[in-house]
Amino acid sequence: MSEQATSHAGHGTDGHDSDGHDHAHGPEHYVKIWLLLLALLALSVAGPFLEIQVITLLTAFGIAVVKASLVVKYFMHLDVQPKYVMYFLATSLAFMVLFFFGIAPDVLHHEGQNWVNMAAEEEIVRAFTARRDAIDTAVRTGVDEHGHEVDEDHERELIAERDDITERLVEMGVAGAGEVSFDAATTFATTCGPCHGEGGAGDGAAAAALDPHPANFTDPAFWNDPEVTRDHEHIVTTIRDGGAAVGRSPLMAAFGAQFDEEQLEAMALFVEGLNPNAE
Amino acid sequence: MEKPVATVRSAAGISTGMLSIWWLLASEIVIFGGLLGAYIMHRIGHPEWAEYASHTNTWFGTLNTVILLSSSLSAVLAHHAAEQGDGKKAAKLLYMTVGGAVGFLVVKSIEWTIEIQHGYTITANSFWSFYYVAAGIHGGHVIVGALFMLWVAGLAKKNKELQRVEMVGVYWHFVDLVWIFLFPLLYIAK
Repeated sequence: MSEQATSHAGHGTDGHDSDGHDHAHGPEHYVKIWLLLLALLALSVAGPFLEIQVITLLTAFGIAVVKASLVVKYFMHLDVQPKYVMYFLATSLAFMVLFFFGIAPDVLHHEGQNWVNMAAEEEIVRAFTARRDAIDTAVRTGVDEHGHEVDEDHERELIAERDDITERLVEMGVAGAGEVSFDAATTFATTCGPCHGEGGAGDGAAAAALDPHPANFTDPAFWNDPEVTRDHEHIVTTIRDGGAAVGRSPLMAAFGAQFDEEQLEAMALFVEGLNPNAE
Repeated sequence: MEKPVATVRSAAGISTGMLSIWWLLASEIVIFGGLLGAYIMHRIGHPEWAEYASHTNTWFGTLNTVILLSSSLSAVLAHHAAEQGDGKKAAKLLYMTVGGAVGFLVVKSIEWTIEIQHGYTITANSFWSFYYVAAGIHGGHVIVGALFMLWVAGLAKKNKELQRVEMVGVYWHFVDLVWIFLFPLLYIAK
């Protein structure tokens, strides 16, 4: 019965009827192929550690194709089967590719000339919004959704991810996605208040100890100073670069690192709004 | 004893049994191909999946790949032993392959338990639905393959129907093959 033990006995490709073939299909050869497969696996696991997307994709799918062809050739012995076996397997594969490219344009894009896949778009917005809220909570409380503490590195990653999500949402035209909750009045009270006073009257807790005294923005004389033209640009520059930058008191620190351009603008407008002569 | 017709008939150049295994695999290509193709489309079309995918555990996946590749080795060695007419050795190697299948399923169940405890269930979102369906259908194939191997090994031990060792082996290599593609899709390309 052992004579029938192989399906390709009839083709004269049996493992032990020719020396050359025995060498290529012997146990040692199989072990070599197995070691090669394991080495390729190690490569595909190592790939993502380089954090380069192209390399990750190559090591993931390029290597998968190589591994698959090794298994097909050396373990399944497809190459010694009758040719038509390969043909009908290839036909199956071709149907799969046909399926993929027939459907892919409709699934990969969520918008066409006369159609919009609203369900898909809504799902992306819903998922991103939920993720952003989760990040906000994690950053605020210092604990992530699994109850793990958020260290500095992780917090930086989370914030980068949140910025990325915000950018995508803005790209998708989601209303209000790019708005940062920034309130100039609150920021003024906490950041500027200790010196300039919460109401901007130059009467903060530290004001008495400072010489010269912090500016009183509610005093018309401050705005009508004959020595300095206190226009919008002057205010913006002072907040951003500090008093010394405009030839005034160096005790007024530079806050440029704390605000982005929009926030700087909002802060300047708030300060100008304290001018009792403002229209 | 009369031989099964699938063994003795060879109208197409190979035994009918072997031919039927190849036909089976041709249909499996469409089943898994469709599933993986659909996954790839959605993975690319849904940027929010990147975050979901980042929670799969690469090390569980790697361990299972090592197990499956090794079980493929023992399957092909069993085929070699059967070719030499050594049914006992073939049976032993097939039992080792079944051991690999069991190991794979144990790792998978530990992995799934941890994921489910973290709230990543099959209904959590479409990514996890794909994850459990794809790995689940594959796991089903692992179970079926292991059962058939036990049966074939039981016969091979008595030096019976040794040609079936190659048939079940080819099926097993295909199960390995599917995992070779599932692994980068679910664990590497994050």
